[in-house]
Amino acid sequence: MAKVPRNFRLLEELEKGEKGIGDGSCSYGLDNSDDIMMSHWNGTIIGPGHTVHENRIYSLKIHCGESYPDKPPTVHFLSRVNLPFVSQVDGKIDPLKLPVLQNWNRDKSLETILVEIRREMANLNNRKLAQPPEGTTF
Amino acid sequence: MALPKRIIKETERLVADPAPGIVAEPHEDNLRYFDVRIKGPDGSPFQNGTFHLELFLPEEYPMAPPKVRFLTKIYHPNIGARIDKHTLTIRLIYRFADKLGRICLDILKDKWSPALQIRTVLLSVQALLSAPNPDDPLATDVAKHYKEDEKDAQRVSREWTEKYASG
Repeated sequence: MAKVPRNFRLLEELEKGEKGIGDGSCSYGLDNSDDIMMSHWNGTIIGPGHTVHENRIYSLKIHCGESYPDKPPTVHFLSRVNLPFVSQVDGKIDPLKLPVLQNWNRDKSLETILVEIRREMANLNNRKLAQPPEGTTF
Repeated sequence: MALPKRIIKETERLVADPAPGIVAEPHEDNLRYFDVRIKGPDGSPFQNGTFHLELFLPEEYPMAPPKVRFLTKIYHPNIGARIDKHTLTIRLIYRFADKLGRICLDILKDKWSPALQIRTVLLSVQALLSAPNPDDPLATDVAKHYKEDEKDAQRVSREWTEKYASG
């Protein structure tokens, strides 16, 4: 198979994101519409139902480096959240604690990261974790 | 991963017999991915500029067109439009090259034919640089600028060329 280079891969992801992904519970886009290198992204996750996160809207920032998608992006929560893979200092996600980042390969995408984070929020160990007040940020 | 014969032949010719003002070189680690430089045509507001582009031949090439993008910022009036599937209205998508350098050129979309080549695509991009067409009925800010005050619009195109494309 042809190996899609970083920039064309990110253009594909951008176009997919603009059309809207899945059921709308996760979304992402470029931070700046003229970021020609497409490095800085924002993501949004709507907290899964029947968990402490229900009805909460979480903002994230995602940085795609030069080696994306061979290497995973770095992901930070901007909204305060209490999850075992999120630093309580700056909201950074520890890639060693989140399987989608730890087992990263080119088939994964910004979409799969957000969907996996949302799934983790609903996971039995996390769904009832005490959370900081809604609307606070790191 | 074998490269199709057609791509090898096209690449050999691009390197051995380049089109005037166009340099296209494959990346060593991905022979479907080209680094492209196009010189701004003489007599156009893009004169003396060198525009950096990237081109990728997808798996389906030549049944699908190459993907091409400007990496250099450019002030150019031609625009594209497409029908919005949801509202059935015509929606402006890009100028000739939008803020992310995406190019709106019919042969890169529905007018693509496998008889076209990397060379023809790059010559078409170069031709659009020579002939900005502000008479497109779906005018954006740049096209409007070109129509209302062509001299001033050319001045901005020249300024952008100097600022972004003279490296």
